[in-house]
Amino acid sequence: MSMYQNGEVDPAVKALEARQDEILRKLYDLKAAVDGLAKTVTTPDADLDLTVSSSLSSQSPSSTTFTGVTNLDTLLGKDLGALRDIVINANPAQPPLTLMVLHSVLCQRYRVLSTVHVHSSVSNVPPQLLSCLGPRHADSYARQMFQLGVTLIWKDVPKLQMKFSVQNMCPIEGEANVARFLFKLLSPYPSDAALATLVDSWVDMAFFQLAEGSAKERAAVLRALNSALGRSPWLAGQEFSLADMACYCCVLQSGPASSTPSNVQRWLKSCENLGHFSPAKPFLQ
Amino acid sequence: MTKDEVQGATEEEQAQSKKGLKKQQKEAEKAAKKAEKQSKLAADQQGSEEDDFAKDRYGVPPMIQSQQKLDRVLVRVEDLSPEKADQLIWLRARVHTSRAKGKQCFLVLRQQQFNVQALVAVGDRASKQMVKFAANITKESIVDVEASVRKVEQKIESCTQQDVELHIERIFVISQSEARLPLQLEDAVRPDGEGEEEGRATVNQDTKLDNRVIDLRTTTSQAIFRVQSGVCKLFRDTLTNKGFVEIQTPKIISAASEGGANVFTVSYFKTSAYLAQSPQLYKQMCICADFDKVFCVGPVFRAEDSNTHRHLTEFVGLDIEMAFSYHYHEVIDSITDTMVQIFKGLRDNFQTEILTVNKQYPSEPFKFLEPTLRLEYTEALAMLHQAGVEMGDEEDLSTPNEKLLGRLVKEKYDTDFYVLDKYPLAVRPFYTMPDPNNAKYSNSYDMFMRGEEILSGAQRVHDAQLLTERAMHHQIDLEKIKSYIDSFRYGAPPHGGGGIGLERVCMLYLGLHNIRQTSMFPRDPKRLTP
Repeated sequence: MSMYQNGEVDPAVKALEARQDEILRKLYDLKAAVDGLAKTVTTPDADLDLTVSSSLSSQSPSSTTFTGVTNLDTLLGKDLGALRDIVINANPAQPPLTLMVLHSVLCQRYRVLSTVHVHSSVSNVPPQLLSCLGPRHADSYARQMFQLGVTLIWKDVPKLQMKFSVQNMCPIEGEANVARFLFKLLSPYPSDAALATLVDSWVDMAFFQLAEGSAKERAAVLRALNSALGRSPWLAGQEFSLADMACYCCVLQSGPASSTPSNVQRWLKSCENLGHFSPAKPFLQ
Repeated sequence: MTKDEVQGATEEEQAQSKKGLKKQQKEAEKAAKKAEKQSKLAADQQGSEEDDFAKDRYGVPPMIQSQQKLDRVLVRVEDLSPEKADQLIWLRARVHTSRAKGKQCFLVLRQQQFNVQALVAVGDRASKQMVKFAANITKESIVDVEASVRKVEQKIESCTQQDVELHIERIFVISQSEARLPLQLEDAVRPDGEGEEEGRATVNQDTKLDNRVIDLRTTTSQAIFRVQSGVCKLFRDTLTNKGFVEIQTPKIISAASEGGANVFTVSYFKTSAYLAQSPQLYKQMCICADFDKVFCVGPVFRAEDSNTHRHLTEFVGLDIEMAFSYHYHEVIDSITDTMVQIFKGLRDNFQTEILTVNKQYPSEPFKFLEPTLRLEYTEALAMLHQAGVEMGDEEDLSTPNEKLLGRLVKEKYDTDFYVLDKYPLAVRPFYTMPDPNNAKYSNSYDMFMRGEEILSGAQRVHDAQLLTERAMHHQIDLEKIKSYIDSFRYGAPPHGGGGIGLERVCMLYLGLHNIRQTSMFPRDPKRLTP
């Protein structure tokens, strides 16, 4: 925006600028809508109303997923007038891709203050890991303006660890468990117990068998994925869930399989179309 | 003693006189033993004069008054390694301990924080008399030794040079120590608690400080002050690389800089002057004089009559002041980065020293984050509140709360170093810049190491008008600070800074418990010597 030496702005110019901004905004909205439509063509939930792409919150008006909960007070305990800071200790040898994805989705929902630190127990952390939560927020000097803090600390830990309320919570260990916690800030788990358990079991399978398992185990999981995806568009039925997020990251992380089954390939593409996974891309070989 | 007196004496006195008698007897015995010993020694010496083939290989040479300039290379103890095996070398060191055993005498030779085992054994190089002479050298004497380096089969656990020992061929006493030491070095380095179990002596802090010269010879003290020198060097190097200018400021000043209390008054010809509490004023004047970024290393005086583990009346202040562009966080970033560079430098270059200190004073390694963690005051209050501490919004942190907060932060973030930002305006000095968004708070910050404050800093008011208002609000006599306010009348850039206590940084980095351990010659309300 232009500045005037005497600090005053001509009202006519101001109005003109406002109009121009408005038109630009409309154009952006339109472009987003078209992008969204283009994706629905290749994404299983054909009834998705993607007016604003890559935003989970407005993904589907019919589903409660991602829009059910917004009240952090009920989720994280009462507001003490200070930043609620979630601390994640991760080993730079194993960057937690799911958490980076979840973080970027959280950023679309809440005002999140993200910071990355290096603990003195490690040295020489690659530069891309230092900027893995995106560029520094312009308002980062005022911590109080944020609803949620995500503090990622690269540290020499055997297992990924999350610390939130040190007074009443023990540290949460394991990427899968931390992912479950963060995902619940976005949407409640399916209320159906069977479905919720199904999501949990896919998440376990992703982290224990896809990410850490042998080639044989991986192949078995891929087969299971393929048959599940033959029955429904997403792993836990009609809606995208943490199961898809975890499995997607772990499939890609375990390297390109020589023969990915066809349903899995279609599903990978659908996941890609959602646009959530770009933060994890730089860390995939 | 007359009979009357004996009768009049109480039982107690009788007991005493009995004791006295016993004492006398003992002393007499002692003297007799001593005489015997001396005569024996004299006899031995006579004997040695008679048939000592190694006469020229030991003794007490004349005092070194720079009579000659020898081309002799003295090897350092720390350089004694298996690579030097079977070489004949010269060495100057202190006799740390000596232990004679029949025909041989073991010595531990010490140089600063390193020591090595040496051996004089009767053979074709050393005579019986020479071994005797070596055994009689008093502890802490300085000796010149010619010896051959030999590898050992079993590591010598008690020495720093574990893989080699020295076979002494010549030994000369350069400076003789008195036989009785005011404290034993082994006692002074014994970890707390260990002595009690074994029934051995420990030396308390005051005895150590009274005999500082000897206490400073201990491996622990040697290591502590090497670390301290490292902190200073890293501080200077880092800031110089960032484009800071080192300044020297006067310590005798005409007016107290931070309120009238806690200053030492000195007589100054016909008037009186004060000893500087901090170079604050001068740092700020340098900023107004376009020096942009300055730092200063020098003594700071506090006349607080507090006898605590972390207060001294004179300490070394590391002070920083810098002009910034738009936000005082530029200053915080600059200071925290400097601190992180210091911690990293210590971690990478002073591992030996840190381990040496840890042997006597075990502590967890110092942990930190890069970039440094910054919390806001309200967050700290929320953390304390959750832990059950009731505190007002604008109340200052008390020392116990400070420590508790340190523990909470350590638990959540696992860092021993963090910044607490946005203090309530009410608890900070008048020259602190208020927070533009909330008048209750200010642009000020403290930095903590292991839960104790090491730095207090802020954005300063650089506007004479606002400064006057703030001073009046604090009911400060404007006449007294006129020259200070006047420095900002002719254009002053926005600036901020802070001051760190060198001794505190060393103490907390090493996890020590008393600041006197990191001050070479500490000054407190009760100590003016040595």
